[in-house]
Amino acid sequence: MTKQERKGEAEESNRMWASASFVGVLIIIGLPLWWKTTEVYRVSLPFDKIGAFDTLPHSITTDLTVLANDDATATEIAALIQKAFADSDVINLKITKSIISKQLHSTLDSVADESEAVEEVGATFDLTRHNSFYVVQRKPLFQDTWLAGDRVLFFRDAKAAKTVVEALKRVVYQTSVLEGAKSETADVARQTRFPPGAGYHIVLSVVHPNPEALNVELDAGEAVEDYIGSFVDELSVLHNFTLKSQWLHLLDFDFQAKEVKDTSDWGRHFSVRQERLHLLLTRLEERAATQVSDLPTLNLALYAVRCQASPLVIYDHTDKKVSSPVQAFMSPKWGGVVLGSPSATDCRQEHPTWRPDVRLIMGTFISQLRKLLGITDAEHIPGAHLEPLRSVTPRQWEIDNLLRIRTLEQLTSAERTLQSLAQLLGEISNIVINDDVGASINSAVDSIQRASELMQTGDLVEAYKMSQSAFLAAETAFMEPSLLALLYFPDDQKYAIYIPLFLPIMFPVVLSLKNLLLWFRGKPIHKEKTD
Amino acid sequence: MEAIRKLFFCSILITVFRCVYCDDFKEEIFLKPLPPTHLYGYFQFVTLVNSETSSFHSHLAPRSLTEVISRFQVEELHLTLTEGQWRHHQWGYPVLDAAPGAELYAWFSPDVLDVDTQWKKLSSTLSGLFCASLNFIDNFNTVTPQMALWPMGAVKSGQNVTSQLRYASLPREIVCTENLTPWKKLLPCESSRGFSSLLNSRMIHNTNYHSIGVHVRKICKSNDCSETQLEIKQTVALVYDYDIINSNDWSFRKLFGQGLPGACPLSSESKIYIDVTSNDTQAYTLTPPPDSVIVSQRGGSDTKLAVYNIKADGQMINIGAKHNSKRDLPVSVPPPLHFNRYILGYGKEFGGIVTELTNNCWTSINVVVLENAPWWLPIQLSSLRVNGEAESSLVLSQYYSPGRSRQKPYHLELLIKLPPRSTTTVTIDFEFVFLKWQEYPPDANHGFYVGSALISANLPTARNYTSLPIGGTTFDSIVNASKQWYPIVFRTNGAMVSLPTPDFSMPYNVICLACTVVALAFGPLHNICTKELVLKPLGTPVSLTQKLFNLFKKKKD
Repeated sequence: MTKQERKGEAEESNRMWASASFVGVLIIIGLPLWWKTTEVYRVSLPFDKIGAFDTLPHSITTDLTVLANDDATATEIAALIQKAFADSDVINLKITKSIISKQLHSTLDSVADESEAVEEVGATFDLTRHNSFYVVQRKPLFQDTWLAGDRVLFFRDAKAAKTVVEALKRVVYQTSVLEGAKSETADVARQTRFPPGAGYHIVLSVVHPNPEALNVELDAGEAVEDYIGSFVDELSVLHNFTLKSQWLHLLDFDFQAKEVKDTSDWGRHFSVRQERLHLLLTRLEERAATQVSDLPTLNLALYAVRCQASPLVIYDHTDKKVSSPVQAFMSPKWGGVVLGSPSATDCRQEHPTWRPDVRLIMGTFISQLRKLLGITDAEHIPGAHLEPLRSVTPRQWEIDNLLRIRTLEQLTSAERTLQSLAQLLGEISNIVINDDVGASINSAVDSIQRASELMQTGDLVEAYKMSQSAFLAAETAFMEPSLLALLYFPDDQKYAIYIPLFLPIMFPVVLSLKNLLLWFRGKPIHKEKTD
Repeated sequence: MEAIRKLFFCSILITVFRCVYCDDFKEEIFLKPLPPTHLYGYFQFVTLVNSETSSFHSHLAPRSLTEVISRFQVEELHLTLTEGQWRHHQWGYPVLDAAPGAELYAWFSPDVLDVDTQWKKLSSTLSGLFCASLNFIDNFNTVTPQMALWPMGAVKSGQNVTSQLRYASLPREIVCTENLTPWKKLLPCESSRGFSSLLNSRMIHNTNYHSIGVHVRKICKSNDCSETQLEIKQTVALVYDYDIINSNDWSFRKLFGQGLPGACPLSSESKIYIDVTSNDTQAYTLTPPPDSVIVSQRGGSDTKLAVYNIKADGQMINIGAKHNSKRDLPVSVPPPLHFNRYILGYGKEFGGIVTELTNNCWTSINVVVLENAPWWLPIQLSSLRVNGEAESSLVLSQYYSPGRSRQKPYHLELLIKLPPRSTTTVTIDFEFVFLKWQEYPPDANHGFYVGSALISANLPTARNYTSLPIGGTTFDSIVNASKQWYPIVFRTNGAMVSLPTPDFSMPYNVICLACTVVALAFGPLHNICTKELVLKPLGTPVSLTQKLFNLFKKKKD
């Protein structure tokens, strides 16, 4: 080996080491460093758990006790109920059957009044427990079944078994509404009721367009506290309610009412078309200040019609009078409006004064509130008797069912929110997930699993609370503005910076890789040139 | 007898009706010519409500505001949105002074422990309520005045009010119709009836100065102050220029575009007060004639007020003044205390703020001056000079809280005794600061606004003084309301500085240039380090470039 050759080899190894160090700095250190520093920050998320939501059970275990006079009836009724609910994926009935004790049997047959009979059942069984229900036989019944506000359904005998099943399915458990709560598309009940929430403000706005000509004597605050207050107190297990009232003076709305002659005291009434009424909501919304509350607001508005336009009657789209003692309408997910017209004697006084019938108006508001909060009115089943509501308080089993509806709704909503968030994260790489969002996603996932377990054990109230915290955590995570921090930093602008810098540098470095590899394997780099 | 019984029954009914809500609404207009060429119009709408129940059940009070007050546990709140500058020297004193732009200060209840968070939430909520940029209020532009501001309402004795106070002003805020519309919605009559129907934005924004405000405070219900009431006062202050309305004979139709369509049917009192003191020197007649003229002697100055009682009968009223001769040019009497503020310095390194305070009285006046400089305008206490002296005997007390970059503004308060018939100059120097490029506002070359200084004074005389006494709610309380002192808080004019502003396309240019240089340098460097230069033996086919190279070489030889 000549000296020159050796020198050449040494130089070549120098060159190769230089080339290797370029590769080392730029590719081995530089690229990972660049990758790490420009990475979008994301906390690791439980994607596998989110993906497994569909396999979680979504049925609610519910206690049902069948009490009959003899074993055969009890077995027959229980078997029929079991069969009817066997394929339900929302309700999982846990039926216990037993025979009524002799003493209770004789009292049940002897007392005349059904409500007394309920009290007798209540003396032996705990009717106040949520998520439980009693089907009790009572011979001296005029109808097949009898149901009131308590968690007791009376039936006459084994022949009434079909009616019992229908009543349970369509009135007590309302399985169609429950299925609607977890379905993809909203059913009528879900379109009407407010979206789930931790609490609501209920604001009664008394709209008084003409304070100088008509004096309205109404203590709005007291009315709200008395009537609405005692109604929502019963629902305190579901939500926190804050009751408010306000007066909106001089808010005049043009109903475009037509005068119609009739035989009343006035000798006339004014007809307002149903289609016109939703425009009133726009006027109310301008001044009702619903946006200042931190919680969703249910609006109740009492519109005091002017004497000159009284009495105001709503006509439906077929141009027929809506026959009802109170002229009222409801707007889904917004609230209800009552149009109150003073009577002829009120207006013919020297100082026209109108004292609204608080009982009637508040009753209307409560029936609207029931729908807005999610209590659906039961349909009529032939042979089944349902006692009409006599007070403002909702029925016990309605509250239980509302708990079930809300639990399912919150749970499925939270699951869908998390699933769509996971899908978005896969599709859009620019979304940042910071620690707070990560924590609320994790807590939502945990709460969903916990709620699902609680639903299986039948602890309805705890399951509702857990599903609510899951729903709220999922909503907070999804609505967090920090997700969008980098969304508007488009890729083409990144390339405008990267290309002038990286292309001229990486090109020679990448090309030198081939020579470097050859040299490391001990192969000659340059082909022998033959002259 | 029957009639008496009826009346008795009626009055019982009315009292019962009133007491169900226990709230009261009053509207007032105060007009004062500001000779020679301006007219001051001040509207105030006062709602008094029971402070316990108002946050849940409101009758005349705006629910949106009472809800905000109760949610954030605010004891007292003052919000003003102002366009234009009140010229104290020329116009005398307004009923309530306001800083240009938006100004908000509030006292929170002593139960509030984390005042800063509540303050941030309050300002954001009010921002939504009034469509103003109050959400830009943050710790870096909020101060806690130590001496300059005191609550106007009832406070429990022995309570530390200063720690619960926050003050911020946004001098850049532009006030327009979008702020007036939500403001009007707070009134029980909105803008459909009563005095508020005069406030149509086309006319009132065509003025030299307009300011809308909301002031909420607690006042005593009785003398022993065992119960308090919430007073919500909404104000509008306007200064018309006779040049704009084209004559010095004014009327409601000229000022507001329409006459007054009667009082608000919900108000218990609707009165218009016109200051006719200047009628003696510059004679004019009011049409229609006022219901009464009252003379008020207050602190050594006589004021004549023409009073109109407006009824809610829906009749159009057009009150106007017609001057008897047009040639009189009255001389305005300068107020006892006036001031001026300006920026010193040139270049982009150092500057200074000068506040000149002139006392025209024969007695000395104690004032508190509050300088509130943003963090990007660091004022140095060491450069504070009063009348050119570092250690002035005029300064009775001083408070200085240095700012912190991006966190806290600079805050200086001085209690100064102004000698009689003299001008006192307070100078303080600042350095200009470089901002980060994201901190510049849009149109950075427009300049940066420096908020007004607050000047709180106890005037010994009521000359040019129009404010209500502290216990007063309506204008009738100023009649013969002589006191030892007349407290007032002034705002000086704002100022503007031009900070060093970079060329904003610079960062991208730098990136492009640096990338090009790196790319150009890297190629040869990489080649030299990694490539071998090999001599090509002769005889091989010569390429075109080689030929050219050879040609060049031969010539050189």
